[in-house]
Amino acid sequence: MGTLTIGCFPGLVGNMSYDFALKLAEAAVNKGHKVNIWLSGNATGSVKAHQKHLKDYSTGEKYLKALLEKGVEICTCEACTVARGIQKTEGIEKLQWNAMHWYLAKIHGSDRVLQIGGE
Amino acid sequence: MKLAVFVSDFKLASDTLDRLKADKLGIIFVANGVYHATTKENGKASALLDKAPNLYALSEDIQTRGMNDADVDKRVKVVNYGDVVDIIFNEYDKLAWL
Amino acid sequence: MGDVKLAYIVQKPQYKGETSRLAITHAIAYQTVEILLEDGDTVTPTLCFVGEGVLGLQKGQKAMDLYGITSTESHIKNSLLVDLDVLVCKEDLAKYGIPEDAMPDADDMGADKKIKVAPFSEIQKAMEDAKHVLFF
Repeated sequence: MGTLTIGCFPGLVGNMSYDFALKLAEAAVNKGHKVNIWLSGNATGSVKAHQKHLKDYSTGEKYLKALLEKGVEICTCEACTVARGIQKTEGIEKLQWNAMHWYLAKIHGSDRVLQIGGE
Repeated sequence: MKLAVFVSDFKLASDTLDRLKADKLGIIFVANGVYHATTKENGKASALLDKAPNLYALSEDIQTRGMNDADVDKRVKVVNYGDVVDIIFNEYDKLAWL
Repeated sequence: MGDVKLAYIVQKPQYKGETSRLAITHAIAYQTVEILLEDGDTVTPTLCFVGEGVLGLQKGQKAMDLYGITSTESHIKNSLLVDLDVLVCKEDLAKYGIPEDAMPDADDMGADKKIKVAPFSEIQKAMEDAKHVLFF
């Protein structure tokens, strides 16, 4: 089994690349791989807890929580997140907050890296 | 290098792809990129289908858009998310998202 | 595991979207990654600008004056200051009519490192030499 690190930069709402990142992560962890997800740019808007799932919009929270339960490590870029007005106390539990070097450190130990750029 | 390129748009991808060289190059069509595998513009198949011998398109994204396997060009293998995981771990060593 | 080489390929122009800027700041972050790694482990990115990614690199940017944000020029200078290898595609500069001497340097900050205007073949080699490639 290998380690896959996904850098996810697109926003949750308005861009289905975010959905792709989470579905790929789920498929990889279901096959027994170790998966890390780094959220940066507009993707960091998805870490706020208590999201209302309106069916016209993708939802992040329940999928992020499910991935966390499966052992996926998920970390949000702290600077990107607070720049969007979200504080750590408002975030989804067990989701990590760190600086960009977290992503690079995870890449260091990864067999595969998929960097999904945003807008 | 063995490079798998994810193409997620119908336009905008060929400029970069034209120049990439790899010992083994695969293209995985996802999101709106699946139109490369399903759609003929003015009757002509996407030029990207000539760029690599190994072509894949994501079943979930084809079906989401109201199409099915029968709409996919014969050169393209239809795969699901689980297949994509196997492809990127077993057949390629580097990944690019365009 | 030692050093892991990365190739960052920036193919989108600066300023409208955030991705191309985040490529630079994520590359600069290599400087502090060692605090999360074992002794002797390092990450070395090479920052490469190709296609429309060569747009928005010129010196003389006034983003701070006009929009109150750090300019790409400033980020590039910081990249040079922390000794990142920065490659800008020669063919693409020519394609867009941007003179090579329009590229910034960080001489005023005391950096020895310079931007290297390089043929695409050299950027291709950076991708081949890297363990992972990251497209922005």
